[in-house]
Amino acid sequence: MHRRILIVAEEPFVRDVVRLSLVGLGAEVRCTSDCEGMRASCRRATFDLIIVLQAAMFLCGGNPVREVRPVGLRHPAIYVLSWQQAEQTVLSLLEAGVDQYMTFPVNLQRLRRKVADELDRRL
Amino acid sequence: MIDTLYRIYTVLALAAACVLSIGALFAALRERRRRGHDAILRAKYLHALMLALSGDEGRMPYFPLFGHYGTRLLLCETIAGLVSITYGLNTALLRHAIDRYGLDRWMLRHVRRCRGYRRARALALLACLPSDETMAAAVVPYLRSRNRYVRFYALTVQLAVDPAHALRYIESYPGPLSASEVAELMALLRRGILPVAYGPLLESRSLNLRRVGLAIVRQFGIEEAEGRLLQFVADSSEPELGREALYALCSLRCSLLRREVAVFITGMNFRERRALLRCVALEGYALNTMQRLFEDEEQPYYETLVQSYKRSLA
Repeated sequence: MHRRILIVAEEPFVRDVVRLSLVGLGAEVRCTSDCEGMRASCRRATFDLIIVLQAAMFLCGGNPVREVRPVGLRHPAIYVLSWQQAEQTVLSLLEAGVDQYMTFPVNLQRLRRKVADELDRRL
Repeated sequence: MIDTLYRIYTVLALAAACVLSIGALFAALRERRRRGHDAILRAKYLHALMLALSGDEGRMPYFPLFGHYGTRLLLCETIAGLVSITYGLNTALLRHAIDRYGLDRWMLRHVRRCRGYRRARALALLACLPSDETMAAAVVPYLRSRNRYVRFYALTVQLAVDPAHALRYIESYPGPLSASEVAELMALLRRGILPVAYGPLLESRSLNLRRVGLAIVRQFGIEEAEGRLLQFVADSSEPELGREALYALCSLRCSLLRREVAVFITGMNFRERRALLRCVALEGYALNTMQRLFEDEEQPYYETLVQSYKRSLA
């Protein structure tokens, strides 16, 4: 089965780091830079996992999870990686429907393992 | 005659403006081309690094065009960028690559050549390059710099290359660490460079070490340290440390209805009390608690804060 991952990050360097760390998982990895791009990508294709590398798009009043995920479904899985450490921020993100929250600095092997497990679970 | 002079002046001014505009255009185009070239090369370097790090055989990565003008700095920035957002990388491989291409020595020379904030940035990059302990001694002169940033990033180099003596370096750091500098040290700690043992830090005689200890307690929510925090609050000899301890108590959501806290709040000025109220509201303390700690005229301010943080919806 063809698996797809979408990486959303404003910074090209961080995006490339995460993209390259997921090479070899047998999934098609696409990248976009903002929330609008994420919405457009989700309209064009179905993703198994969306990795958002900034918490900012969740903190401005919007809920991107609701926009990309059909009502009542837990698909696609959404991971958020950010520098935000505050407990309230993390709780708010999880309440908004984010499946996994990791803070920078991140262990790339751990991230890769988690992503692989997530994709296997969704097979 | 005057008309002729005006004409000549106008023509010359026009010609100069044209030459300057064309020069600026060429410079902008060249800069744009260089940026594009750098972006491509950076992506290639990152790809080579990630490929080498993901492989098991530990092969030395190949960096195309390495040795050309600007490529050393580009490679240093790439490695530093990767190291600063990750932990648990194959440091041996990175160190091998840095040794082979002589990046740390080159960066040290670059630090010597730069001045002011550029020097601080170069030191910040150097702190992210896995290097050996000799680098700790090499940056000692920069600890006496007049520029605060240079001093601090020289300290981060020492901490990064010789973490075993981290406490000694922080203790001997000239001058007090600011809140943002402590926050940067916490970022180092999250990368696994600094020790997390907060006990010796809180008991230390060095103000900087105690400050770092308080930051660790606050960051990791260490509730066992509550008694020590109250001692800091009660100690009137260092009010700044007491204030930080009070903020740490708030972060831990400990009870603020203590005699030490009440006495300390009484000694705070108006602005400090307002700042504390904001922190307390953010942490979600009840209005009843605040009524017993603050004056009646400060109650409406706290109520406004509570409403603005939408505590009732939590």
